[in-house]
Amino acid sequence: MPSAHPDHRYRSPSLAASVIIIAVINLLSAGAAWCDSDAARQIIQLAERIDQEIESQNADRLPRQTLSDAGYLRRVTLDLAGRIPTIAEIKQYEDLDLPDKRLQVTTSLIQSPDFAYHQRNELDTFLLRPLNHDREWRSYLLEATKENRPWDSIFREIMTPEETRPEDLRPTAFLKHRLGDLDKLANDSSVIWFGVNIGCAKCHDHPLVDDWKQEHYYGISSFFKRTYRSKKGLIGERFDGKVKFDTTSGESKDADFMFLTGTKVTEPELSLDAEVLKQYQEQIKKAEQDDAAETPPQPLFRPRQQLVDLALSDQQQRFFAKNIVNRTWARFFGRGIVHPLDQIHSGNPASHPTLLAILTDDFINSGYNVQRLIHAITLSVAYAQALPMTESDSPSHGENKLENQSDRGVRYFQHAEPRPLSPHQLSLSLLIATGNPEKTAEQISNPDWEQDRGKLEERSEGLAQKLEIPGENFQVPVSEALWFSNSSEMQNQYLGGGKDHLVGYLNEIEDPSAIISQAMFATLGREATSEEQVVLSKYFEQRNEQRVDTIKNIVWALVCSPEFRFNH
Amino acid sequence: MANHADSGHPKQSDSLDRRSMMRLMGSASGIGLAANMNQITALGESRLNDQLRASGKRVILLWLAGGASQLETWDPKPGRPTGGPFAQIQTTVPGIGISELMPKMSTHLEDTAIIRSLNTKIADHGTAYELMDTGRVKEAGVDFPHLGAILARELGNIESKVPDYVSMYTSTEGRRKGSAGFLGGRYNPMFLTDAMMPENIQRLESITDTDHRERAELRDTLSKLFARHHSHPSFEGHNSAYGRVRGLMASDYLFDIEREPESIRAQYGPTQFGQQCLVARRLVEAGVPFVKVARAWWDSHGQNFETHQELCADLDHCMSTLLDDLKERGLLENTLVISLGEFGRTPSINGSLGRDHFASAWSCTLSGCGIQGGSVYGKTDENGNTVVEGEMSAGDLYSTIFAALGIDHTKEYMLGSRPIPIADFDSTPCYSILT
Repeated sequence: MPSAHPDHRYRSPSLAASVIIIAVINLLSAGAAWCDSDAARQIIQLAERIDQEIESQNADRLPRQTLSDAGYLRRVTLDLAGRIPTIAEIKQYEDLDLPDKRLQVTTSLIQSPDFAYHQRNELDTFLLRPLNHDREWRSYLLEATKENRPWDSIFREIMTPEETRPEDLRPTAFLKHRLGDLDKLANDSSVIWFGVNIGCAKCHDHPLVDDWKQEHYYGISSFFKRTYRSKKGLIGERFDGKVKFDTTSGESKDADFMFLTGTKVTEPELSLDAEVLKQYQEQIKKAEQDDAAETPPQPLFRPRQQLVDLALSDQQQRFFAKNIVNRTWARFFGRGIVHPLDQIHSGNPASHPTLLAILTDDFINSGYNVQRLIHAITLSVAYAQALPMTESDSPSHGENKLENQSDRGVRYFQHAEPRPLSPHQLSLSLLIATGNPEKTAEQISNPDWEQDRGKLEERSEGLAQKLEIPGENFQVPVSEALWFSNSSEMQNQYLGGGKDHLVGYLNEIEDPSAIISQAMFATLGREATSEEQVVLSKYFEQRNEQRVDTIKNIVWALVCSPEFRFNH
Repeated sequence: MANHADSGHPKQSDSLDRRSMMRLMGSASGIGLAANMNQITALGESRLNDQLRASGKRVILLWLAGGASQLETWDPKPGRPTGGPFAQIQTTVPGIGISELMPKMSTHLEDTAIIRSLNTKIADHGTAYELMDTGRVKEAGVDFPHLGAILARELGNIESKVPDYVSMYTSTEGRRKGSAGFLGGRYNPMFLTDAMMPENIQRLESITDTDHRERAELRDTLSKLFARHHSHPSFEGHNSAYGRVRGLMASDYLFDIEREPESIRAQYGPTQFGQQCLVARRLVEAGVPFVKVARAWWDSHGQNFETHQELCADLDHCMSTLLDDLKERGLLENTLVISLGEFGRTPSINGSLGRDHFASAWSCTLSGCGIQGGSVYGKTDENGNTVVEGEMSAGDLYSTIFAALGIDHTKEYMLGSRPIPIADFDSTPCYSILT
């Protein structure tokens, strides 16, 4: 073996690591000045309120365990940057001897270009991705996340693009891809913006939820009934059109424009004479079919705009704000304060009502600042809790134990719940893990990282589109395991032995235990346990003759582990 | 003629009682607890009982994408203004006639029941496909599983070494993948689009079999070490997906029809549909519970009769060969073969000599497992415009399919606190065509 690898080509792993550390110092200190600001102090206070509330509900005194530095960094980097941390970032973080190092690292991550990209991907998955991959729309979202655009502005732009961004067709995608199906448009809008699934109330009052009546279902539909899209791609509203429905007693009714809180909007009498109305109707029909047609006039009363105004009015805005606070929370804990996320109603109370109220108030008072909310959550002690430990070594015994304790632990946010990586998180993390760690670290600390991150994003797109978007009951599909096991992309590109890849990089290191250690850090972000060292060293010894393939197989086994597949 | 329009169908609804019961259950258990897949359970009956009853049962769905004409297949109206140019031929079952475009099937009806009374109301491709592939009208906010996923779950073995839901659809027109919906990715189809061999099921030449196996063992060992400290159903699900890889790879030969004797391949014939039917037979023989073979594109808005001359010849030949082959191997008894599309076609013939979408009175067939062969259920009027006897909904068809396979059609999946019956509310099996 050594003859194939002349001594001068080997590098000591510790030296390699120290080179990388110097390169990332800038990244971590980027937010240092901000950490002394008023805004930072407010966020710290909010994080403390979160912990007070979580602690106050822990009547059972369930045992808790806080993550290690490396564990916290992996979780928070996946959550804020949408990728795993590099070896250099981990070493840097572990070596940082500051009392507020979590504040430092979360600030750096939120200020990094990674955050806007990841936030864009999350929003896309939430708002449109399951229906369509739309590049223009994604560029709009990226623009919004880069400037931390307030959530109410994003809501306005997406739901009334013709009012807020008349020249910009990109945000119309949300409506465009749902316009063919009024039920879907109405229910998706209700679920996404307000956390209320009214689907069950279509044919009868909701059988399980007293809050939701047929009138609510058709009330929400009414706001969308008049929406159309012209051939040019502009969104508009018609002058007339009412939703009719049959009640369970067989009565036929015209639906009111009614919001989920029961508040109704009264339509003023249409003051157009029949001839003019007919002319407008024809103009709209023409615009729907012909892209050369003149843009029709907008009516004075526009139901969809009314819905947006109503939802953001002082009296109603808590509904809208509470939903996104709850969803954001769930993104970081795997479970909402109200859960399921689309069941915000009186029969399904919040597990921590005061906490939800505090966060909602702060969110509204801060001008719908999503970034601030995320920052406070990731700074809380609750967020930094470890998975529940399995006490027994017997898997079946452990599982039973877990089920008993887990429900309560998860419900009260006393320990973490593993969350599957999103397609983008997994695809990006695979690129980072299997890339040459020195080169990646250098790239990330470089001022051009913003551009490079954009390129990385492009490279991750192919695999991301193949992977399933995790829903509530996510199970890893076998097609994914087959792709990792047998695709030529995995074997030849990600596990390539060249200088740009982890496999090639590790192959330059002489000592097998150093190879194992670096492989563990690059993929799982931690040191190998002694048991893992034994297993992997043995594997190495048995295969003395096939060094590159051995390294490939070890890296493969690590990136195909559940530990890699989930954020935990 | 074995018509059984009055045989207890449909039955009185009990849904109000059931719903009020659920309301009570909902308030007692705390509405809206997590809809955890691992907690999706069937009400009423234990899963074990079902598995014992349904074990060894298989399904092949011949999907006639685009909508085949019932008048040119199972419900001809010869001599009527709607009848078109083709004659009706007598089958070997006394009293049953079918279109002359299906001559081979006319001698193969002894194991087949024809249903002539589907009234499914929805006649646009997308929505009707959802309806016929899930057995219920789409509902905003709930992602219903498709037939293949339900049957993969009900008939399959969780540890199975072979795939449990294979879907073949190589035509580009009307291609739809099928989804496991809320049952989760475990039941997604293995979907074949471009080739006869599924993607990533074969080992690359650049890795030896020993390396491939040992690498998987290494992964497994490391995962077990991790699980000793961190046990969670999500991690177990991940491991079980990887646990199935080697088994699925070992089943790659099932997709290779070169392994069949020349005589068998000749029987199925050279068409792609024929070859896929042969793959389907190989798969069910090896224990795959659900295989869908799609044949496109029946959407004959123009030139309906030429289209059906060509497509019916393929269907007639492949379906009869498949039934013969299954029977000869003793598989038909436990294999249900369904021929079905998203809807039928209008009795009226349009200006382009085509027939348009029609969902008010159309046909499908069920053969083999649990089916009373040589029977016809339901009846349309003399021109085929309406159902006059034994009207059947998509939910009723699903109930019938489940009953034929020994699956309790009233079984419910719990999605959080909401019960979702596997066949739609108020649907009833058509017992008269069941054994």
